Amino acid sequence: MLARRIAYRSSMFVVAIASVVALWELYKVVGPQDGGKLFGVSILPRANDTAMPHIWSMLSRYGRPEVRGSDTKIWSVVLSGAFFSLRLSLVGFFLGTTIGVGLAVLMSRFRVVQRGLLPYLVMSQTVPLIALAPLVVSWGGKLEIGSFVWPRWLSASILGTFLAFFPIAVGTLRGLASAPAAALELMESYAASWKQTLFKLKFPAAVPYMVPALKLGASGSVIGVVVAEISTGLKGGIGRLIIEYAREATGDPAKVFTAVFGAAALGITMSGLVALSDVVLMRNRPKESST
Amino acid sequence: MSALEVLAASKIFNQGTTKQVDALVDVSLTVQPGEFVSLIGPSGCGKSTLLRLIANLLEPTTGSVSVNKKTAAQARLDRDYGMAFQQAGLFDWRTVSKNIELPLELKGWEKSRRETRAKEMLELVKLPEFADLYPWQLSGGMQQRIAIARALASHPPLLLMDEPFGALDEMTREYMQGELLRICGETSTTVVFVTHSIPEAVYLSNRVVVMSPRPGRITKVIEVGLGATRNEDTRAAEGFFKGITAVREALRGTHAEHAAANAVRGVEDR
Ligand SMILES: Nc1ncnc2c1ncn2[C@@H]1O[C@H](COP(=O)(O)OP(=O)(O)OP(=O)(O)O)[C@@H](O)[C@H]1O
Ligand SMILES: [Mg+2]
Repeated sequence: MLARRIAYRSSMFVVAIASVVALWELYKVVGPQDGGKLFGVSILPRANDTAMPHIWSMLSRYGRPEVRGSDTKIWSVVLSGAFFSLRLSLVGFFLGTTIGVGLAVLMSRFRVVQRGLLPYLVMSQTVPLIALAPLVVSWGGKLEIGSFVWPRWLSASILGTFLAFFPIAVGTLRGLASAPAAALELMESYAASWKQTLFKLKFPAAVPYMVPALKLGASGSVIGVVVAEISTGLKGGIGRLIIEYAREATGDPAKVFTAVFGAAALGITMSGLVALSDVVLMRNRPKESST
Repeated sequence: MSALEVLAASKIFNQGTTKQVDALVDVSLTVQPGEFVSLIGPSGCGKSTLLRLIANLLEPTTGSVSVNKKTAAQARLDRDYGMAFQQAGLFDWRTVSKNIELPLELKGWEKSRRETRAKEMLELVKLPEFADLYPWQLSGGMQQRIAIARALASHPPLLLMDEPFGALDEMTREYMQGELLRICGETSTTVVFVTHSIPEAVYLSNRVVVMSPRPGRITKVIEVGLGATRNEDTRAAEGFFKGITAVREALRGTHAEHAAANAVRGVEDR
């Protein structure tokens, strides 16, 4: 049952990738080499090898050195960059989960908090990340608590947190409110404390809502970290590699795509971790009849 | 000493607003220990409201409720109630035996003691082999039996049930009625039972309380003399049919009254 679901999901994944590859190569065959223009406005991307390298040249680029004459192959640079960013994303994700779940519990406990806080949370998500990144870096740089010195990478994680906590808070809040009235009444008739009701009823009832929220949060934390790396120029991560390689796009067009795929792999890894928790948390729940 | 005493209790929702509902007016009811009492009446006559007052899930607007000489609030804090509703309301994420253990966990019982009791309760409801399954793997009737086991797990002195068999088919329903009587007999539990079914009320009860709506009140209390032991033959006994007729007539009275009240209102509206 479980094996079949995993097999089904991974085959869908392969099909999705294959169709993207096919579309890409198809466009290279039929698309205009110098892009399509309508009244002087370019609306179709250029299909030439500089703008859209062949998939196989991107893949073969992984096997060649990062810079001419160097010994380090590009795959190892991209891999360690992705791993660096993965660690930052994980930190951001865990902070985001803690804050998101904490806020949700507070908001479900006190209606006042919910009414006062929720609009601000929604508004916070409209602040453009690019504008926020340098601010967080400079605030972090000024922060000193005892012997604790704010490391630069933490700012990138914090931006991941910033994108992650919101869907988690909203999803958890909805989940906590999803406990049926009859079940709440049952707990009340047993004179259950607030804490008992929270842990024995509300949280378990919230799990089906929290899992998709955590998935959103995971991809949010990756986006936050990568954008922060790009906009603050933090060294070591996949975001930095993307801007560096993009500068060489005319001479070595396949290079930037190696880093872009690295970022994609990073996102998939994070989602995979959450999907794993999905399988574990939902293993004893009623299954939908579909596949 | 009475197990339950409701004294001149009223419940008025949204008092003083245009949405005011006199859900219960001046209701008094005394239930003896070990007695089985059914509440029956047309929809909206306040049966569930009365049950909630007894369980201290609602406060009466006036009047009082006492359970074993305690206030209802104290009785709830002492976990004197077992409750079961139309929907079994088992927790999907707990196994059958963990569901039964829930009230015991809330009381702070130790694990081994909880497990022993859960096993006993599963024997009692005749589903011992289902301990480690999840509720959604059971039929509706089995789920309802587990819900009853949960309600009785801590041996509460007072069991409150709101149409617990309403969602079951006729065959399962009659079977469950027999089971409930057996279980309550074995544990000498006092029961207040809400139902819409006249035969069910008569079959199960020592007394049937007939209620009428607008405002919700008790119109008649019917003693059913069916004796302590009831079985399938009881359903063919003369006393059973007499009881059914008596309850039906009492209900028809409330219905006629109700219709008349509506007719009068209809005239006023015109
Ligand atoms: N929380 C509430 N707020 C306002 N009115 C309520 C509330 N609960 C119940 N009522 C009203 O009180 C009256 C009695 O409701 P109650 O649920 O006790 O009826 P019932 O006899 O259980 O009906 P049924 O047989 O349909 O379950 C109804 O008119 C209902 O609308
Ligand atoms: Mg009701």
